[in-house]
Amino acid sequence: MMEFDSTHLWMHFWAIATAATVSAGCALVGSFLVVRRLSLLGDAISHAVLPGIVLAVLAGGRPGGAGVFLGAVVAALVTVWLTNLLGTHAGLAEDAGAGVAFTTLFAIGVVLVTALASRVDIDPGCVLYGILELVPFDTVPIVGLEVPRALLAAATVLVVLVVAAALCWKELVFTAFDPAAARAAGLPVSLVSAGLLVATSLATVASFEAVGAILVVAMLAVPAAAAELLVRRFHRMLLVAVALGVAGSIVGYLAAWHFNTNAAGMIAVVLGIEYLLAAILAPGDGIVARMASRESLRWRVACEDRLASLWRAEEGDAAALAPRTLVDRLAQARLVFGGRIVPGRAGGLTDIGREEARVIVRSHRLWEAWLGRHVALPLDHLHPPAEWIEHHLGAEVRGRIAADLEGDVGDPHGRDIPPEEFPRRAANEPTR
Amino acid sequence: MILTVAEMSFPTGWIPPYNTLVVAAGVASVGFAAGVVGCFAVLRRRALAGDAAAHATLLGVGLAFLLGGGRRDLPLLLGGALSTAIAALLALVLIGRWTRTRDDAATAIVLGVSFGAGITLLSGISARGIPGSAGLEQFLLGHTAGLTAADAMILGALSLLTVALVALFLKESTLVAFDPLFAAASGWPVTLIDYALVVLVAVMVVVGLPAAGAVLVTALVVIPPVTARQWTDSVGVMLPLAGLFGLVAALSGVAVSSAVPRMPTGPLVVIAASILLTISLLIAPRRGGLARWLRSRRTVAAWAEGRLLEVALRLEAQGPFTREQLLAKAPGVAVDSAFKRLVRSAAIEPVVTRAGTDAWRLAVWGRELAAERSRRLAAWTEVLEAAREDARGHLTIDVPSPEAILGAARMKAIRESAAAARSVSGPA
Repeated sequence: MMEFDSTHLWMHFWAIATAATVSAGCALVGSFLVVRRLSLLGDAISHAVLPGIVLAVLAGGRPGGAGVFLGAVVAALVTVWLTNLLGTHAGLAEDAGAGVAFTTLFAIGVVLVTALASRVDIDPGCVLYGILELVPFDTVPIVGLEVPRALLAAATVLVVLVVAAALCWKELVFTAFDPAAARAAGLPVSLVSAGLLVATSLATVASFEAVGAILVVAMLAVPAAAAELLVRRFHRMLLVAVALGVAGSIVGYLAAWHFNTNAAGMIAVVLGIEYLLAAILAPGDGIVARMASRESLRWRVACEDRLASLWRAEEGDAAALAPRTLVDRLAQARLVFGGRIVPGRAGGLTDIGREEARVIVRSHRLWEAWLGRHVALPLDHLHPPAEWIEHHLGAEVRGRIAADLEGDVGDPHGRDIPPEEFPRRAANEPTR
Repeated sequence: MILTVAEMSFPTGWIPPYNTLVVAAGVASVGFAAGVVGCFAVLRRRALAGDAAAHATLLGVGLAFLLGGGRRDLPLLLGGALSTAIAALLALVLIGRWTRTRDDAATAIVLGVSFGAGITLLSGISARGIPGSAGLEQFLLGHTAGLTAADAMILGALSLLTVALVALFLKESTLVAFDPLFAAASGWPVTLIDYALVVLVAVMVVVGLPAAGAVLVTALVVIPPVTARQWTDSVGVMLPLAGLFGLVAALSGVAVSSAVPRMPTGPLVVIAASILLTISLLIAPRRGGLARWLRSRRTVAAWAEGRLLEVALRLEAQGPFTREQLLAKAPGVAVDSAFKRLVRSAAIEPVVTRAGTDAWRLAVWGRELAAERSRRLAAWTEVLEAAREDARGHLTIDVPSPEAILGAARMKAIRESAAAARSVSGPA
C-alpha cells in the first residue's frame, strides 16, 4: 500500500482520472449486459482474461499494449466457447458451465503468474484487486505531459466503445430488448452479441490493471443495475449508469485515501452503497416509494370504510362501528378534519361525507347484486369481494353494472342500492 | 480409506510427518464433502449463488480478525466467514424480493461489492500493520501449508457433519432438486429445504476456504459434481462419485502446492478438478465424447450399408450391376467403406463374367438382409401411418370441433356464460 504525500496532487488526479475512465467504459458495456441478463458474462470474462493477458505478456506484449488486448479478447472468446461446448455436449446448465470454464481459466492464469513471476511483470495481488495507486508511476509522454499508460489504454477503449455504441445504437437496443423480433427483421443478432462480447472483454482488460479481475464485476454490473432502478428509458439509464460509475470512482478513491486502504475495493463498496440508495429511494419502484404507495392505499381504504360504516348506521340497519385500530382512529380524525364527519362523540356524516359514502356503498351493493345475478355464489360469499372492490370501481364501471342490472335497485340482501346522483369526483375515484 | 488415499499421494518410502498426514486427511474430507454438497447446488442451478457467498467470506474473515483482537484463530475466522457468506445469500434473496433487479445482476452485485468490501478491509488491516495480519491474504487463493493438525481436524469434522446432513435428508433434497412443483404439491416445505441446501453450500464454501481460497472455492463445489454427472444418471451414485473426485482434486492440489514454493493451493486444486473433468468428458461411457463419436460412426455405417443393400436389391432386377452404378444411386457419407464391408462379409459377391468389367450381385445372405430391411421399413411406414390417423383426433394438425371433445352440453354452458359476460361488459 502506497502512502501519498498530499502535495502530490497530480498523482491523485491521474489515479482518479484512470478510475473514472475505466468505470465509465464498464458502466456503458454493463448497461447492455444487465438489460440482456448477461451480468454473469462479465463475471466469467473478467476471470478468464487472466491467462490471455499472462500469455500475451509472456510473448512479449506490454501491459496495456495491443497484444495484451488481443490475448484477453481471445481468452474471453475461449471462455464463452467452452461454456457453450459444456452446454451442448455435456448438457450442463449455463451457470455450472460458466462456473467450470472461468474458474479453470482463472486458476491457470494464477498458476502461470506465480510460476513465471520472474519473467512476467504482473503482481499476483494486482490480478485480484488491482493497484490503482501505482497507476500514475507508469507513464508515457504525450505532448509534453506524462500520462499514465493505464489511463491512455482506458481512454482509448472508452472512445472505441462510445463510437461503437453510437454507430450501432439501433441494432444494439433492438437486439437487447427483443432479440426474436430483431432476428426476424434481418439484423445480424449473433454478430451483435459477439460484438458485445468483444466490447466486454475490451472494457475488462482496460480495467484490469487498475481494479483487478474481480472488482471489474462490480464496475460492470452495479452502476447499471442501480441506474435501471432509477430511470425507465434505456438511453437515460446509460447516462445515469456512467454518471454513477464515475461518481463512485471519485468518491471511492478519496475514501480509500482517507482510510488508507485499497482504492479499487473501496470503489466497489461505494458503488454498492449507490445501489443500496437507489433500491431504497428510487422514485416509483424504490422500497420507500412502494411502501408509501401501499400505506396510502391502506389509508384511503380505512377512510372509505369508515364513511361507509357511518352511512350504514344512518340507514338504520346497524350501529356504526366505533373506530378500533390506530389506523381507524387516524382515519376518523382525518375525516373530521376534512369536513366529512361532524366533530364530537356522536359524529354523523356531513353533506360532503354523505355524498362520498353513498358512492362507496353504491359500488359495494352494485357489485354484490352483479355477483348474485351472474355468479352462482351463496349469499354470505358476496360481501368479501364487494368489500374489497368498492374502493376501486370508477363511475364508468358502476354505470355499466347498473345498466346490466336493468333498473333492479335492490342488492341481494334486500337493501336499496343508493343512486348515482350528481356525478362528480368522489373520494373513491381511483387516482390513476 | 481417506488415509490410504492420503498416503498414496506421497512418494513411497517416505513417511510424512504427523501434521502433514492430518492436514491431508482434513483436506481430503473437505474435498469429499464439497463434492457431495455441490451436487445439489449444481442440480438446483445454485452454482453462482455459492460463488457470491464465497466472495463474501473475505469480509467475514477480516471482521472476525478485528473482533478477535488480532488472533489468527481458524474457527473464529471461519465463523466470521460463514456469517458474511449467509448475509450475502440473504442479500440475494432480499434484492430479488424488494427490487426489480434480476437474478444475474443481483449475483454480480453481491459478489463484486462484498469482495470489494473484503479487499478494502484486509488492505486497511495490513496497511496498519496489525500483528498477525500477514496470513490473512492466504484466504484469497488458499494455502494449506499453515494449517495445524487441530485446524485440519475441525475442517474434517465439519465436512463429515455436512455429508451426514445430506445423507440424512437425501430423499427430501433429491425430490426438491428434480421436481420442486411436485414436492410443493405433496406438502414438503420446498422453500425451507431449498434454503437449507444453499446454507449447506455456504458452509462448504467456508470450510473449503483454507484449501481453495475465496476466489476459487466455488470450483470445488461445482466441478466435481459436473464430473460425476458424466458417469452416472443416478443421484445415489453421483453423490459419492462427486465426493471421490473432489477428494482426489483436493489432495493432488495440496500435494503439488507443498512441493512448489509460493504456489497457492486453490488454483492447483481447481486445475486438478478440471483435468478430471476433461478426462471424464472424453472417456465417460455413453455421455463421453469418445462414446458419442463411436456411436455416431456406427449409426452412419449401419445406415450406409442399409442404403446400399436396398439400392442393390432394386438394381439386381436388371441383372448384375457395377460398383459405380451402385454408389451413384446411393450417394452419401461412408458408402465407400460400407461397400467394402458388404463385400468382405459376403453380402455382395462378384459375378464371374468376361475379364475386365466389374460386376456384382447380392449373395443369398445379402438378399436376406435387404429383404429384412425393406420388411422393417414397410412395417414402420404402416405403424406411422396408423399412428397419424389415430393422432389426427387429438393433435393440432386437423383440429376437431370442440363439441367432439367437450360434449354438446358443456359447449352450450360455455357459450351461455360467454354471452352473459359480453352483455355485462357491454359492446367494446
